[in-house]
Amino acid sequence: MNKQNLWSLRLGFSGKEASMIKKDFSLFLKNSFESNVDSALPELLNDSPKTIADLKARRLFLKEADMVEKKKYNTQENKTNIDLKVWWLEKMQKETFPLREKMTCFWHNHYVSTFQKVKVNYWIYQHNQLLRENAFGNFRELTKQVLKTNAMVRYLDNTDNKKGKINENLSRELLELFTLGVGNYTEEDIKNGGKALAGLGNGDEKAVYRPKFEEEETITYLGKTGNFKSDDLVDIIFEQKNIPYFITRKILKWFIYDNPKEELVTYYGNYFKEQDFEIKPLLYKIFTEEYKKENAGSKIKDPLVFVFQMIDELHITEAKMEMVAFFLKYQGMDLFNQLNVKGWDGGNSWLTSQILLQRNNAADMFCKGRTLNKKGLLNEEGKSDPELEKINISLDWNKGNNEQIIDELKNRLLCTTEENLQKDFENILKYDFNPNDPGAENAVLRLFNAMAKTPEFQLI
Amino acid sequence: MNRRNFLSLTGTFTGGMFLLPDFLHAFGSSSNSLVIGEQCLVFIQLNGGNDGLNTFVPFDNPMYYEFRPKIALSKDDVIGKNQGMAFHPALKNFADMQQNGDLSVIQNVGYPEPNRSHFRSQEIWQTASASKEYKSEGWLGRYLDFQCHNHQPTAGINIDTIDNLALKGLEPNSITVKDPNRFKVKKENSSVKLSENPQLDFVRKIASSTMEGSEVIQKALAKSTAENTYPKTELGKNLEWIGRLIKGNLNSKVYYSSLGGFDTHDNQLSIHNNKLTDLNDAVFAFYKDMKEAALLQNVTLVVFSEFGRRAKDNGRGTDHGTAAPMFIIGGQNKGKIIGNNPNLADLDNGDLKHEIDFRSVYASLLKDKLTFDYSKIGIKTKPISGLF
Repeated sequence: MNKQNLWSLRLGFSGKEASMIKKDFSLFLKNSFESNVDSALPELLNDSPKTIADLKARRLFLKEADMVEKKKYNTQENKTNIDLKVWWLEKMQKETFPLREKMTCFWHNHYVSTFQKVKVNYWIYQHNQLLRENAFGNFRELTKQVLKTNAMVRYLDNTDNKKGKINENLSRELLELFTLGVGNYTEEDIKNGGKALAGLGNGDEKAVYRPKFEEEETITYLGKTGNFKSDDLVDIIFEQKNIPYFITRKILKWFIYDNPKEELVTYYGNYFKEQDFEIKPLLYKIFTEEYKKENAGSKIKDPLVFVFQMIDELHITEAKMEMVAFFLKYQGMDLFNQLNVKGWDGGNSWLTSQILLQRNNAADMFCKGRTLNKKGLLNEEGKSDPELEKINISLDWNKGNNEQIIDELKNRLLCTTEENLQKDFENILKYDFNPNDPGAENAVLRLFNAMAKTPEFQLI
Repeated sequence: MNRRNFLSLTGTFTGGMFLLPDFLHAFGSSSNSLVIGEQCLVFIQLNGGNDGLNTFVPFDNPMYYEFRPKIALSKDDVIGKNQGMAFHPALKNFADMQQNGDLSVIQNVGYPEPNRSHFRSQEIWQTASASKEYKSEGWLGRYLDFQCHNHQPTAGINIDTIDNLALKGLEPNSITVKDPNRFKVKKENSSVKLSENPQLDFVRKIASSTMEGSEVIQKALAKSTAENTYPKTELGKNLEWIGRLIKGNLNSKVYYSSLGGFDTHDNQLSIHNNKLTDLNDAVFAFYKDMKEAALLQNVTLVVFSEFGRRAKDNGRGTDHGTAAPMFIIGGQNKGKIIGNNPNLADLDNGDLKHEIDFRSVYASLLKDKLTFDYSKIGIKTKPISGLF
C-alpha cells in the first residue's frame, strides 16, 4: 500500500487526505493541529433540556404524563441522540483535516460516557465538545475538566457519591481506566479518592461540589496526605512515575499498532512526560517517526474507517449518515454508547466471524450501487425495492492494462498481497482486459469488490 | 469434510484405531458418543458483579438485616427456604429446579487476593488464572486447543455481540454468533494461508471460520424446531438458539452467553429484581426444553459472575465485593447446597471471604463432565466434591 494512503486511513477515516499527506506530511500535521473548532450549538439541541431547572421540569412533566406522552417524549430524545450521531459523523466525513475528529473519537473511547446511561443529550454534546476542543491539548488538564462534566459524574454514579455513603465508581475508573491503569494504586487509594470526590454532582453548565455532601476528611492518596478535591487528585496522579505509559500505549493502539512494542511505549511515554503531557508534540513525534517505518498491516480497521473508506472510494454522495450510524452499531462501534466504561477494545475484538460477514455484505451492497439497509446487513428475508435503494457510485482508476489497474487499486487498498490473491485478481481482470470496453467500469468495480472482501483489506 | 466424517473415514482406512496419532485417538475414542450422549457445558456469565447475598439469601442471619437496612429482602418474601438460605423471590423456578434435584448451589465461590475491577476479575474467571497471573488465552479456549488439534470452528459457540475471552484459544475453535439464523454465506474455497503478520493470520482464520462454521450450524438448525416457550428477552433468545443447536446435534462442547446489568451501585432492589427475573425465566425455559428433549442429563448449565458485592449496602445499592454463589443446573448434578452459609461475622475489609476456589469448580466440570485432565490447562486446584 502507498504510504500516503495508509496514513490517510490511520489519521483520518478514508483515503481522502492521501494527496495532502504525500505533498508535505509535516505541514499536513501542523494544519491538522491548527484546524478550527466550530463552537456553535447544533440546532438539533434547541429543544433538548439543558439546565438543572429544565431537567427538573422534565422530571415533573414525565411524572404527570400519561403513557402516550411519555413514549412520545422518549422517542423524541432518542431521535435527538441519533441526530447527534449524524452531526458527528458528518463532521468526521467532511472535515478537511479530520485528525481532530479522529482524536476526539479516541478521547470519546477513553473517557467513556454513554447516552444510554446519562440520558441528557446536551450533556453528552458538552462532553463531546470538550474532547474536541482539547483533542490536542494537555492530558492532565483535560482529565481535570472531564471529571467536572455533568455527563461523567452521572455516568460513573458520582451523583450518588455523598458524605457518609461513598460511591467508589468514578474514583476507581479515574485510576484504572483514565490514567494509571491497574497495578499502580491500591484499593485504599480508591476508597479515599471516593471521599475526595464526594459531593461532586450535576450543575448547570458543569459538575459542581455541593458543600453539604462533601467529605472534609483528611485522606491519604497515592502517598500524599491532605484534604483533596478532584483537581488535587489529578495533580497527584500526574506526579506518579507510571502516568505516561498507559495513555501512550492506547494512542499507539488507536493509530498504528494493535500490539505496540513496550520499548516504543516507554520511548514515547518518556517524551510525553518531558513535554508536560502536551498532546500535540507527542502526536507529532509519534506520527513523523512511525511514518518512516515499514509498518503497514499492523492494525485491524475499525468499522468507521471501513465504512468511510468505502463511501469515499466509491464517491457516494447520497450516503445516509443514519444508516452509517446503524451499521456502526451492528459492527460493535455504536457512538455515544459503548458497552461499558472500558470502551471498545479494538484490535482483534473488532472482528468476529459475523462482523466480518457483515462487512462483506456491506461491501457487496455498496459495489452493487445500493444503499446500506437493514435487510441486507442482517441477511433478513423479504422483498426489497432495488429502485428505492439505488445510489450512484464511481471508482477512480487510470486506463492501462490489467496489471497496472490491479496495482493501482492494491496500492490504495491492500496492506500486502500474495501470489494466490494476485491470481484471483488477474482472473477477474484478465490479461486481455480492454479498458475502453463498455463493460470496463463494471469489471474494475468487481475487482474492487473482491479486494474489499479480502482479509488484507481489513488491515491498515 | 467435517471432523466426524474424517474420523470415521480414518477408522475405516486403517482398520483399527491403533494407527491413529494420539490426539485423534483421544478424540476418536469418544466418537461413539458423539452421536448420542455427548456432554456439553452451557455458561451464563452475569456481567457487572451479581450480588450473591441478595440472590441466595441468608435470611436467618440477623447480621444480614443489620448490614443492609435499605435493601435486605424480607424473610417473608424469599423462597425455597433450606438450611437458613433461600432464593430471591424472582428466582422462583430456581427453587423449583432445586426441589427437583437438578440444581446445585455452590456457596462462597471466589479466589485468593480478590480483584474488584470488573475487567480484571472477569479476565481471571475467563482465563482461570491466579489473581496476579496474566494469561492471554481463555480456559475453555485452552481446553478446546487440546481437544481439537486442527481448528474446528464450532467446537465452542458464543452467542453474544462480542467474543468472549474464555473461549479464546490459539486456534479459532469457537465462533461468536449474534443470531445463528443470520448465518448464511456461500461456500467458497477456504484454505487458510499463513503469513508473517499475526494480524493478517487472525483475519484470515476468522474469514475461514465464517464459511466453515455456517454450514454445520445451518444443518443443526434444520434438524430442530423453534420453541415458543422461551421469553422474548435477549437471554431467552440466546438460550433458545443454544437449545436448538444442542437438539440439532451440533455437538459443540461449550456454549456461552451472558447477561449484563448486575453492577448495582444504586437503585438495586428494582434493577436486581428485573435482572434476576430475566435470568430465571430464560434459564427455566431452557431447562424445560432440555428436559422434554430428554437431554438434560447431557447438558450442564453454569451460572456465575465475576464477583459478588459488599456485605453492607451503600444506601440504595452495593459496591464491588468478592465471593458469591455459583449455580449448576442439569448434567446429573446432585442437587445439593455445597459449602457453608456466608459468614457475615468474619469479613475481609467488609467483604465475604471465599471458601471455594472457582477453579475447583472448573476442575470438576472438566473432569466429571468432559473427561478431561484439568491439569493440562494449568488448573492446580482439586475438583470440589459432591457436585456430580
